Amino acid sequence: MKKTGKFIFQKYDTENLINRRAALVTIAKAGVFSVLVGRLAYLQIAENSNYKKLSDKNRITHRFLEPERGIIFDLQGRPMAINKQKYEIIIIKEETKDVEKSLVNLKSLLPHANIDIEKILKEVNSRKKFIPVGIIDDLTWEDFSKINVNIHKLEGIYPQIGFKRYYTQGESHSHLIGYVSPISKNEEESNPLSKLSTAKAGKIGVEKAKDAILRGKLGNKNIEVNASGREIRELDRVNSVQGNYIQLTIDSELQKFCYERLKGLSGSVSVINVKNGEFYALASSPSYDPNIFSKSISNETWENLLSDKYKPLINKSISNQYPPGSTIKPFVALAALESGVSHKETFFCDGKHLIEDTSLESGYKTFHCWKKEGHGNVDMTKAIKESCDVYFYQIARRIGINKIAEVCKRYGLGEKVFKSLYEEKSGVVPNKQWKLENLGSRWMVGETLSAGIGQGYFLTTAAQLSLALAQLINNGTRLIPKLIYDNKTSNIYNERIIADPRYLKIIKNALDEATNAPGGTSYRSRIIGKYKMAGKTGTSQVRAISIKEREEGLIKNKDLPWEKRDHGLFIGYGPTSDPKYAVSVIVEHGGSGSGSAAPIASDIFKYLFEKKLNLKRNEIFNV
Amino acid sequence: MFNQNNFYSSAFAKLQSINYPLLGLIITLFFVGLAVLYSISNGDFNSWPLKHSQRFMLGLIIFFLVIFFDLRLIFGYAYVIFFLSIISLVIIPFFGIESNGATRWINIAGISLQPSEFVKYTLILALAKYFHSINNDSSFIKTLIIPLIITIVPVLLVIIQPDLGTALIILLGGISLFWISGLNYKYFIVGVFSILCSLPVLWQYLKDYQRDRVLTFFNPERDPLGNGYHIMQSKIALGSGGIFGKGYMEGTQSHLNFLPEMQTDFIFTMLGEEFGFIGTLLLLLMYAALIMISIRLALKSRSLFSKYLSLGVCNVFFIYVFVNIGMVTGLLPVVGVPLPFISYGGSSMLAVMFGFGLLMNCYINRNIIIEKTNY
Repeated sequence: MKKTGKFIFQKYDTENLINRRAALVTIAKAGVFSVLVGRLAYLQIAENSNYKKLSDKNRITHRFLEPERGIIFDLQGRPMAINKQKYEIIIIKEETKDVEKSLVNLKSLLPHANIDIEKILKEVNSRKKFIPVGIIDDLTWEDFSKINVNIHKLEGIYPQIGFKRYYTQGESHSHLIGYVSPISKNEEESNPLSKLSTAKAGKIGVEKAKDAILRGKLGNKNIEVNASGREIRELDRVNSVQGNYIQLTIDSELQKFCYERLKGLSGSVSVINVKNGEFYALASSPSYDPNIFSKSISNETWENLLSDKYKPLINKSISNQYPPGSTIKPFVALAALESGVSHKETFFCDGKHLIEDTSLESGYKTFHCWKKEGHGNVDMTKAIKESCDVYFYQIARRIGINKIAEVCKRYGLGEKVFKSLYEEKSGVVPNKQWKLENLGSRWMVGETLSAGIGQGYFLTTAAQLSLALAQLINNGTRLIPKLIYDNKTSNIYNERIIADPRYLKIIKNALDEATNAPGGTSYRSRIIGKYKMAGKTGTSQVRAISIKEREEGLIKNKDLPWEKRDHGLFIGYGPTSDPKYAVSVIVEHGGSGSGSAAPIASDIFKYLFEKKLNLKRNEIFNV
Repeated sequence: MFNQNNFYSSAFAKLQSINYPLLGLIITLFFVGLAVLYSISNGDFNSWPLKHSQRFMLGLIIFFLVIFFDLRLIFGYAYVIFFLSIISLVIIPFFGIESNGATRWINIAGISLQPSEFVKYTLILALAKYFHSINNDSSFIKTLIIPLIITIVPVLLVIIQPDLGTALIILLGGISLFWISGLNYKYFIVGVFSILCSLPVLWQYLKDYQRDRVLTFFNPERDPLGNGYHIMQSKIALGSGGIFGKGYMEGTQSHLNFLPEMQTDFIFTMLGEEFGFIGTLLLLLMYAALIMISIRLALKSRSLFSKYLSLGVCNVFFIYVFVNIGMVTGLLPVVGVPLPFISYGGSSMLAVMFGFGLLMNCYINRNIIIEKTNY
């Protein structure tokens, strides 16, 4: 061993050297093996629980299960909004390396399908990476199975069976029931269904108002998937819970009848039960097919709906506000009676009424009656029957705007009828304070006169008018307006009397004469038979008529462009013997109430009377 | 001299003197591999398990063929065999089969072989002959440069294929023989030092994907969907196996395809997932036993050539096992080295059986004395 360090290869004592060096190598090998064993012990024993979690994360995927939406029934128990099975395709960002590549593959697989890759990419990137995003909403069975066969090429893409909303009544009910479409960004927080991008939410109508009840609860499941994302088996599942059913007080046949009767016109109808506040119809025309929203709607269709001058997307029974015109007169008359005006007191009508107005050159302002030659001596009954404006100018001036406003508000005008429908408008019942607050100026006497015939600042909706009339006709019982049927509160009267029955009798009688006595404004639309209707017409101006125009002679409505024609209104009740229904009809730019709205109301009452005054009902509850 | 009777009696004597514990271990390891492959193919024997068995049978034939050759003949033709294997590497760029961007295979009579697998053993053969023959008084150039060249040439040829993993094993196997044959340890110190210094230069010559693999090895999270994916998924599979494993044919990482190349390079992971720490430990013990027996057999030979050859084969085998397991457990970069006897792969199976044939031949002929030649 003395020579150590001087040799290149040690060639003496080789036997020992080999043994020594082999031993060193063996020790080194043993060391390496120990390291390997240690490493394995570390991975498989010490870190086992960590890696177990990672392994489960690999193989187990969490999926939310879309709940079926609650069904909406009508009063007779007919399903109006139901769910149909559909085949859809979704993508989950987290589960693919390349979203775009998967989408391109999908597109090449379904060349005829309308897949906007850029739009989907945008949508995918704007959401959390584990949220599935819908690609194709409604697929044929053939395409669906094609996807299933080629799923290995479509990383992160999954075919699934979902539900689509279907509206059995089509366009006749679309405003009222509304429609559903994908949950929007600002709804995400409040809607637990937003974890599922394919989930829908009600956007308008009852679908929106009762969305929380209808939507149901998400289910979820854990599934085992392989590396390419194909589902191998289901590990566990919590089923989704279907949303609750809702039964409306709407009678779908009546609603359809009303809608059909409005065909070709722009307007609305509201039918209410005067005894219990149930709304049987809330129709609006023109309309749209709510089922187009179940598929993704094209921009063009949407733009057309938005720009249509007849405003098909608006529910005209609650969302469009109109000056009530002469239909306000029964309420003004009631205000007069309550203010001590005798119904027998007469006023003289010579076709116009003058009030002082120093701002004008002539020193006075003229208010015209619709009847140019005047009504002569007019008492309250005649004033309502023949709709004398001069009578109402004078009593309005006497009792003042605040009294008129107080009575109107008491009957529900200027206030939303259904608190839950988001798109409903409240209307306006003006008074001095209202003007000061909203327009910042003092009330003028002339404005009281305009208000007396339902013009000026006055705005109401069809639903409001029907409710107000119903409460007038049922001897002043305040009603709880009902659109959603529920057996807990139905048929229970709210006992608060809101008017003196004697006064109401006078007005009811005047309304009866307005329809059923010769000379009444709606005499032509009267119903001859066992049951009769009664009601008040109204014609509300949409433009101011200038003095010059009046001197030159009024242009007839039919000669004016559509947008400038007067609105035609009618509020009525029936049967007169024992009132059960109140109806309001508004025909936008229909010319006059007696010409356009009253005949429609008449037909609706005929329909109701034929049904022997009893609409069939069939309670459906799973609440 | 060579009559039939004599041949049979000597063949019988050779069969008798085989070390059966070693052969038994080899067969046991084959069956372990067969069982794992059976699981990978989801119980379909006709796919991987069948081919694996056929290859093992072929391997056994090679094993016995090598045993029956006279050791002196093998010694005599050692350089020729080495030279032929180098030729097969040289022709690869011209006749080779390309796969995954690397040209490693050649087609011989319909069977594609990977010559680099055999070079591991032919290099040992050549070096053993060389070191057996040198004298103490040889000059520096003759004694050190020539074997270095013998070693570097196949390493370079394999690197350009490119196959870094196999090149490394060839290099380490060769260097281990330098050590065994008594090269002054000072050269090793100088060698290690100069390799460390030349690493930055070497880095320049690595292919992009090789650099990626090395970088990813040091930080698997760097690219969890690319190269790091293999290491991550392998570690997850092993780790989730726990002590007792998920059960035979129950591995989720493997059966749900999260694990890459599980029938070849990552087969150990598959075993670890299904049989747990108990399984991996048992397999490691089997390998350790195989290596211990090999060393014991090697040291019984009287000639230096036999000792060098046997120990060299044993070292190459050890490096195989270490690199593969080190790789799948995340201790080493992913370099694509199969696990001997277990991994599905023809060339590696045949080569390792060739190697152990040489080792067994040396053991059977342990008392033969081989004269030095003029290398």
